[in-house]
Amino acid sequence: MNLEDEIRTALRRKEPSPEFTERVLARVSGMPVRRAPRPWVRWVAAMAASVLLAAGAMGYRQYQGERAKSQVLLAIRIAGGKLNKAQKRVQMLNAAHRNNS
Amino acid sequence: MTLLQMPERAPSRTGEWDFASLVRQHQAMVFSVAWHFLRDRALAEELAQEVFLALHLHLATLESPEHILFWLRKVTTHRALDVARSRQRRPIVSLEDAPEPVAVTPPGDPMLGAALRKLVAALPAKARMVVVLRYQEDLDPTEIAAILGIPIGTVKSQLQRALTLLRGKLSRSRGEVGL
Repeated sequence: MNLEDEIRTALRRKEPSPEFTERVLARVSGMPVRRAPRPWVRWVAAMAASVLLAAGAMGYRQYQGERAKSQVLLAIRIAGGKLNKAQKRVQMLNAAHRNNS
Repeated sequence: MTLLQMPERAPSRTGEWDFASLVRQHQAMVFSVAWHFLRDRALAEELAQEVFLALHLHLATLESPEHILFWLRKVTTHRALDVARSRQRRPIVSLEDAPEPVAVTPPGDPMLGAALRKLVAALPAKARMVVVLRYQEDLDPTEIAAILGIPIGTVKSQLQRALTLLRGKLSRSRGEVGL
């Protein structure tokens, strides 16, 4: 046998004491387990986020529509009020003109 | 270590491993690296336990049996080197001062094995770990360099120097018998 084989033989693996595995498992049993997130959890989270975003976008569009509608109604109401005033003024002027003549 | 010796319960893609069978499968490797390097059975067992506790914490991040094996070797060697560094204050017998192995011994003799282990234990820490990984784990210099995080050239030169020292020490005690 050459030197390298002699070293290989001298340094061959050895087993630890027979209780080694049990000791490790006992120490580990008191430790928290850190697990990798499961792939389906990631998919569900991604889908839930997409649904929330879509719902949010739809809600925002609806809100904008409602706001525009109320602004148009307000504008119509204001315009209607102004028209009424103008009409009353015209009627008053007409009446005054008729009394003078 | 071959793939055929990997744990029966194969890992799922979620990183779930049968931890107990991983311990049983790798304990001899982890313990022996520590034992051949530190030459202290109690310390080697303690270190091996710490390595497996760390494995338990990092198991979810390890993706394959090869990854686990590499991780275990890397963590074991680095922790053993740390322990050796912390023990540096203690007087260590250098290889030059180590006692000559007893008389002339035939190849494969247990006495020669014990003598060789003593001589290996007297090597400087990095060279000792290189020798342990090369001859206990049968790793090539590239793998050793990856585990220890040193250049391949350094691994080769340390291996060469260690072999020359060991050969010289042994041949002085054995004459020129077979070495």
